[in-house]
Amino acid sequence: MPGFLDRVRTLPRLGLGVSTEYGARRQDGALDPLELRRRRPDCAGFLEVGVEVVKGLDDDARAWAAGGLPTTYHFLDINLDDPDDFDAPWLAGVRAIAGELRPAWLCGDAGLWHLGRRDRGHMLLLPPILVDEAVAPLAEGLCALREATGLEVLPENPPGAAFVGELHLLDFFARVAERADTGLLLDCAHLAMFQRARGLPPRAGFDGVPWDRVVELHVAGGRVRNQAGLEWVEDDHGTDVLPDTWEIAGEAVARAVNLRAIVVECERNPIEAVLPLFDRVAALWPARGPEAA
Amino acid sequence: MTDRLDPRRVQAALVCMHLDPAYAAAVRGPGPLPELAGRERELLRAVDPRTLAVDPYRRARAVHALIEEYPAAAALLGVPAIDAFFSTLAFRTCVFEHGSMALSFGTWLGDQAGGPGRIEAAIARARRPRPDPAPGLSCNPCVAPLLLPAGSLACLERIRARLGPDPAAALASARPLRERPPRGPKQEALLIEASPAGEVSLGTASEPLVRLLRFAAAPQTHAALAAEAVRLGAEPHEADELLAGLVADGLLVAG
Repeated sequence: MPGFLDRVRTLPRLGLGVSTEYGARRQDGALDPLELRRRRPDCAGFLEVGVEVVKGLDDDARAWAAGGLPTTYHFLDINLDDPDDFDAPWLAGVRAIAGELRPAWLCGDAGLWHLGRRDRGHMLLLPPILVDEAVAPLAEGLCALREATGLEVLPENPPGAAFVGELHLLDFFARVAERADTGLLLDCAHLAMFQRARGLPPRAGFDGVPWDRVVELHVAGGRVRNQAGLEWVEDDHGTDVLPDTWEIAGEAVARAVNLRAIVVECERNPIEAVLPLFDRVAALWPARGPEAA
Repeated sequence: MTDRLDPRRVQAALVCMHLDPAYAAAVRGPGPLPELAGRERELLRAVDPRTLAVDPYRRARAVHALIEEYPAAAALLGVPAIDAFFSTLAFRTCVFEHGSMALSFGTWLGDQAGGPGRIEAAIARARRPRPDPAPGLSCNPCVAPLLLPAGSLACLERIRARLGPDPAAALASARPLRERPPRGPKQEALLIEASPAGEVSLGTASEPLVRLLRFAAAPQTHAALAAEAVRLGAEPHEADELLAGLVADGLLVAG
């Protein structure tokens, strides 16, 4: 198999996109991806579909896929470092859903999606333990999923308030990407949470990032909260993007030479409220449309 | 306990710390914790306890998930008893050993909520079948044969009807239940069957059938199972046909 930096050339440039997950639009005023695409195709070049295999796809995702529109598959139910999680029924479900979505790639938070085995009521999301011993198991899981699906699998830095381990998050994911020979999805809002939690400036650790492996970015709103004197960021996917996140996104766009996609995560907000956010992200990445591929 | 750092063990302990402040305090404290190697514990001791509390509903959601599967047990014991599970060794073992919360809770529950609790635990098991690869005939893992104090099923149905479609909401606002599970010596035989889609049928069955299926909880040879059927009242010349019928009905499976 060619190395990732050769493989990345075959990945399509998706431009700006929007995310969804099962039932996201049940909330009043939530974003209708197809309506956004009708009104502003430049903002909805693709749909990133959050998938729990046990739930499958909702009507929005099916309608988008039925139109042959571009997608990415964002998993929500795999602990990549756990070989027991790669059971045959789950893998069959992933393949079936990928067959329907025909995603450009798979991606998702490379953290702990569930305690114990995959089961009802087990869902959570915690970041990986940031130690060198955690790199190899995670990389092996990424390779296993890539082999099982035939698609590139991009690990994403998860959100969190409690980060355990001595490594910087970016250093950890750089090691994972090198070991798995894969690309990266950098969630700018999640990274801002980490930097704040560690008392670091927004761009700390940037020089160690293999920027040519960064294929996708996430930009999302967040809210600063206070817990007994501790300031932390709630990843609320609202329309207020924190200044740290903007700073990270701007610098990441400038450095990520193989960037293919940016998701603006705002699935529970009305279209009118999110358009300014898309416009500001678009201004960071001027040649953003599929036509720029 | 090896002193090699296992990130999954650290992650499991961190989950327990998120869900159980007492365990988080124990990790920070001086007492022994055999499940963690020295460096693993040091990493976890560096966690600011406030970061574990930023999601105040995490444990409540976990309790809610258990109430959805154990509404009658929750009604009989009270929600605080369900909540207490998350501070037990049984819960930590589930997390550390890649287990199922609902199954571990059912084991921990034991007879605390009597027959209704045992029925709910059996439903949880039947919904999560783990086929036994050992050779022989065994009870279908989607089937749970139960022998319980008479009146257990009726008690369960009364409680569930009282709780309605949203047991957690009902329990949050309801007065404590006065009903107690039946504990008498007389027994009733029940059979639970879960479909692949997760639908559950629950009803009474003949006691010999339930006893035979319970005998087949572990894989048995055809001869041993036929002998047990005869011991339970089948005519010797009917035993083979009886077992074939149980296989055809999906109550027994061949490994």
